[in-house]
Amino acid sequence: MKRRILLPLVLLALAGAAGAEEPDARQLVKNAIDHWRGLSSYTVMTMVIHRPDWERSMTMEAWTKGDDRALVRVIEPKKDRGNGTLTDDDSMWTYSPKVNRVIKVPSSMMGQSWMGSDFSNKDIARADDIIDQYDHTLVDTSVIDEIETYTIQSVPHEEAAVVWGKEVLTIRADYVVLEHAFYDQDGQVVKTLTSLDIGDMGGRTIATRQRMQKADEPGEWTEIAVLEVEYDLELRDSLFTLSNLRNPRD
Amino acid sequence: MDITLRLAWRNLWRQPRRTWLTIGAMVFSDVLLIFMISLQFGMYGLMIDNTLRIFSGHIQVQAPGYNDDQKMRQAVPDVRPLAAELRSDLGSETIAARGKAFGLASSKERSYGIGVYGVEPAFEPHVSNIPGLVDQGRYLGDIDAYEIVIGSVLARNLRVAVGDELTLLGSGLDGSFAAAVLEVVGTFDSGVQDIDRNIGEMPLGAFQEIFFMNGAGHQVVVMAPSLDEVPALQSRVEALVAGRDGLVVRDWDALEPGLKQAIEADMSSAFFMYGILVILVAFSVLNTQLMSVLERTHEFGVVMALGMKPARLGGLVMLETALMGLIGLVLGALIGAAVTLWLGTQGYSVPGMEEMAAQFNLPARIYPETTWLSTLLGPTVVFVFTLLAAVYPALRLRRLHPVEAMRSA
Repeated sequence: MKRRILLPLVLLALAGAAGAEEPDARQLVKNAIDHWRGLSSYTVMTMVIHRPDWERSMTMEAWTKGDDRALVRVIEPKKDRGNGTLTDDDSMWTYSPKVNRVIKVPSSMMGQSWMGSDFSNKDIARADDIIDQYDHTLVDTSVIDEIETYTIQSVPHEEAAVVWGKEVLTIRADYVVLEHAFYDQDGQVVKTLTSLDIGDMGGRTIATRQRMQKADEPGEWTEIAVLEVEYDLELRDSLFTLSNLRNPRD
Repeated sequence: MDITLRLAWRNLWRQPRRTWLTIGAMVFSDVLLIFMISLQFGMYGLMIDNTLRIFSGHIQVQAPGYNDDQKMRQAVPDVRPLAAELRSDLGSETIAARGKAFGLASSKERSYGIGVYGVEPAFEPHVSNIPGLVDQGRYLGDIDAYEIVIGSVLARNLRVAVGDELTLLGSGLDGSFAAAVLEVVGTFDSGVQDIDRNIGEMPLGAFQEIFFMNGAGHQVVVMAPSLDEVPALQSRVEALVAGRDGLVVRDWDALEPGLKQAIEADMSSAFFMYGILVILVAFSVLNTQLMSVLERTHEFGVVMALGMKPARLGGLVMLETALMGLIGLVLGALIGAAVTLWLGTQGYSVPGMEEMAAQFNLPARIYPETTWLSTLLGPTVVFVFTLLAAVYPALRLRRLHPVEAMRSA
């Protein structure tokens, strides 16, 4: 299983690095997402929410499996421990131990902030939309830090249910996303996800620290730093269920 | 003087039908103006009162920037002691503290994003209509109780009834997870869709606990005895909170900027119409007086030949107009006042107006407000314009030469 998937990845990476042919933009985006997420993953990360007059830090663990499923649970601070989010396809549920209830996030709230950060619920739940519902064009190729880097413009299909006018991704040939900018319908940047640190973790080269920055609020950003990551591990399907969101079994 | 007055009076009734028709035009426009103006004043009063009484109040003490951004962190520290202090310093009960947050309200079946107000149950009824609009269950009681009243539409959407539980999820002041289970103790029906669908109120003490407010809130609402007393009260409140955490005091115009604009826009378009009406009446008076002057050219020539000064003749024409205008003014004001007073007790409604009225928080039936101002404003303006209209015919007399005048007709 592992080998079958990895081999084409390596081949593609080689092809890209050699510059033998123009890479397929859509494939680049898909590979970048797959690279970040793997077939399955377990991540421990810290999220720092920064505001001009205060800052807040949270540590969370996250599991993902396949394209659709993800479970995120807060470890620190103690006060918020056990709060969690489960996403499956486009649906999202949230759990709070204080009230011991699982609540489905209504679609009208999907554009709202996720856990008080600069990420929206949609950012967390719908990473795959960009592959299925966008047209991708390679607009620039350059070499950054001796690695071939592609700039891809992704424009949503007419009927796609997305709020963005377009997204621009800067992806290295090794599928590390350097920058991901979100534009509104008027072509103005709304927010940008930038990779601040890139390193080797869990057997891959990944962005270990990323910052989401809103364009019109320079003093407000959210940073996610990966502390620990494991890829392609065995994860039970029962991990991604509502009952597990409520009562962690591990 | 008597002779001119008597002459003017007799001249007026040489053509009774014409005079009555002209007076009729004045009376008609007077009645229309009185009715429209008092209806408008009545409506504006209601609009302002109903809108401000729902939430915003006349004056609010807030953190700087809160009015524009409404962010959780733009908070007023120790909001309850501050409200208590203002109550005792101003000797008024119509002052209440509030907190406001956004959250996800969920019943067993459904979830909606709503705005939640933390209120002081003892004082909120003095500053807001909502407590009085509870149609099911009761309003809030204990300031620390975990209970909530929600809009009737929200209750229907969530499929909860009085006595059911509601889960509230949101972010606290420090950004941490805020969550609580609250008992729905009542629902309110304000008739304003947006409010009935999106708003809940809970006791401020519980609100501060759930959202980690640490004693803070977001607004202190102050209600003045009447709209006219707002500026004076505002400066008193300003003096009392001056220098405290940079708190700012906003008046109702800043809190509900759309309201004054809507009224001003409506007023200017209405006064444009009134202007046209008044000018039309003035032209009809001009027409009448010009006619009556022209047909008397021969007669005027005779009296001038006998030694009457043109200025006195002009005065005569003005006096005729003034008498006619006065009759119009008195009749118009009497009939107009009678009509609006009657409608003031009966109420006035136009079929199909309910929808539009609801947008401005108005009842479907409107009671015009009859005041001296609304009764006399329109007729006085009509009277003044009537006099102005007579100036031209009167001035024409100055150019009259007795001989030529006697030869004509």
